[in-house]
Amino acid sequence: MNKLLTIIKREYLQGVRSKTFLVSTIVGPILMAFFMIVPALLMGIKTGGATRIVVVDQTGRMYERVREAVMQPGIDINDDAVPQAVSTNNGGARQMPKEAEILKAHYEIEEARLDGRAFDEVKRELNERIRQKRLDAYLILPPNLLENGAVEYYGRNLGDLFSIEQLRSRLSRVVIEQRMRDANINENRVRELSRRVEMSTVRVSESGEERSSAGSSFGLAIAVGTFIIIAILMYGQAILSAVVEEKTTRIIEVLFSSVRPFDLMAGKLVGVSLVALTQYLIWAVVFGGIALYGAALVVASGLDLPTVTPSFVLYALIYFLLGFFIYATLYAIVGAMVTTEKEAGQIIIPVSFLLAFGIYLSFPVIRSPNSAFSFWVSMVPFFSPITMMVRIVTETPPFWQIALSMLIGIATVLGLIWVAARIYRIGMLMYGKRASLPEVLRWIRQT
Amino acid sequence: MSEPDDVTLLLDRITKSYGDFVAVNELSLAVSRGRIFGLLGPNGAGKTTTIRMIVNITAPDSGTIKLFGQTMSAELQNRIGYLPEERGLYKRMKVGEQLRFFGELRGMKARAADAAIDRWLERLKLSEWKNSKTNELSKGMQQKIQFIATVMHDPDLLILDEVFSGLDPVNVELMRDVVLELKAAGRTIIFSTHMMEQAERLCDDICLINRSRKVLEGSLREVKKSFGRNAVALRAEGVNGVLADRSLVASVKPHSDYVEVLLAGGADSQELLKRLLAEGARVTKFEQVEASLHDIFISKVQEQS
Repeated sequence: MNKLLTIIKREYLQGVRSKTFLVSTIVGPILMAFFMIVPALLMGIKTGGATRIVVVDQTGRMYERVREAVMQPGIDINDDAVPQAVSTNNGGARQMPKEAEILKAHYEIEEARLDGRAFDEVKRELNERIRQKRLDAYLILPPNLLENGAVEYYGRNLGDLFSIEQLRSRLSRVVIEQRMRDANINENRVRELSRRVEMSTVRVSESGEERSSAGSSFGLAIAVGTFIIIAILMYGQAILSAVVEEKTTRIIEVLFSSVRPFDLMAGKLVGVSLVALTQYLIWAVVFGGIALYGAALVVASGLDLPTVTPSFVLYALIYFLLGFFIYATLYAIVGAMVTTEKEAGQIIIPVSFLLAFGIYLSFPVIRSPNSAFSFWVSMVPFFSPITMMVRIVTETPPFWQIALSMLIGIATVLGLIWVAARIYRIGMLMYGKRASLPEVLRWIRQT
Repeated sequence: MSEPDDVTLLLDRITKSYGDFVAVNELSLAVSRGRIFGLLGPNGAGKTTTIRMIVNITAPDSGTIKLFGQTMSAELQNRIGYLPEERGLYKRMKVGEQLRFFGELRGMKARAADAAIDRWLERLKLSEWKNSKTNELSKGMQQKIQFIATVMHDPDLLILDEVFSGLDPVNVELMRDVVLELKAAGRTIIFSTHMMEQAERLCDDICLINRSRKVLEGSLREVKKSFGRNAVALRAEGVNGVLADRSLVASVKPHSDYVEVLLAGGADSQELLKRLLAEGARVTKFEQVEASLHDIFISKVQEQS
């Protein structure tokens, strides 16, 4: 026991004192923010100024309304069939929260009149302007636009799906609105009658009713999975290198002459996971304030925050640790099999695949959390940290199922550590070549 | 063989194979307390495998190992200090921390470990390096650090595998003194090497293994005696026919500034000296020589192959 503690202590102190730990603690959140925010920013940036559009209005009476709709700022909730969005003057396009502002597209619009010229001639001229880059696109509103609602878009770049979709939805609105007017339908009345249904979701669980949004609790379960993946990506490699280091430097020979291989392996895993938890704790303390501020913003904007109960926190912590240990041990096994870190690269791929597969499995599970399929995948220790968490936040399964999946998880961790220790002990006697799988299996059976 | 009380380590017909390869075959030996036991043999003879079984890294396929009269166990590991031939230290750890880790791993309390570290660093003239990272030290220094890691918990049995390799002559002397001090303090030392000169200078008892089997064992003196050759180191001027007399001299082997004369069976060295003097030779060196461990090693190993 004391030896186990000694191993844990060394592994932990070496971990938290290393430069890597310091750097990743500081840089980690910055990178994460970078990957979450930057793509959104980039998507929204329309470079090169406003999109220049010409409208050829063959109906002869739609141009003004089209111009008004297109030039309107803000972005649309894509809901164009609903007359709620009919009126252009009172926020038909809903104002989005601040960060969406950057997503709005800018347009310059003008009308091309036929003025007696042939339609084809005007088209030729517009095509020429597009080729000369004096124009980005033109729209043709045919004479029978109101009847069959077909518009043609001619443009240089059909890849700007964002702008094209925006134009389409705004044009639909204008057309629907015009049709109603022509049919003498009172727009206000229509808007009033076609208010959408608001459905609030209440979860009925053993402990009563909880108001919560389905999407956000699912997000919470996925967040646990994400934490496991991030921790594994950051620390699995650390465990692997530590194992390989002891082999290549031959420290292992001294270690094995004074400590049981199982204690050595378990001590390493516990030590490194304590390092990971320490890092998460630092982030939690430092960014906790920011997170609370963010949560307050979300609440203020009217969205539901997931309900976080103490039992959820406990389950999340347990499954995080289980998931981390299971995958970290797999990394350790790989480390014990190879002679250099380079070799580990290819062998580790199936492990990463297993990890990603757990996330994919959570999608069928969320749709029917109590199906036989969901039951079985939440018992498989490699997936249960994610799938069981999904079941817990959706339809909490009976406690015996949770307990069983935890027990299976713990047994798996112990079994894997045992296997890793064996491979480690016998692998240390081998030099210079990577063990083949049959060899490794023989090592495990050997006494 | 000594009384059981005096036997620190007893191997009884241990065998270990890896696949088809038999690394150690039916090896039995007894190591007495307070003595330096030389485990000798050429590379690949099975020395390291034997040691690994003694320190409980691997288990023998058959046979038993008794340490201090008990079957090998995890607890007993604390009473052993093992310096493997291939050295290894954590490169990025400070010397002091590293030693404390190894001390605690052998069941030492932190305070006792710190005291032992200071004492040993001073003894091996490394005190100023206590707070340096291990990879800032020279190879020889790292080797001495590893030696400290081996002995700091004051083990009853020390197993030193090629302890002097890579050390300069000054440090070899220093380490030799330390090893002899430990012996004087009643520690049992297993000294594994293929360098026969070193073994000859240190060992009380030896066991020579070759190709996984024991070929020779006993106290150094007995071994040399039983291997006794009637040889004389001779340096003389004016030697004529005496050395050609086959009834007296079996062979003559030239060395740098003397010749080694192997006497014929039953011949007496005093007879040779008399004959030389009678011939009027001027003798400046005349020394009865016993076979060196090196010679014994070579002849035994060659005998087998």
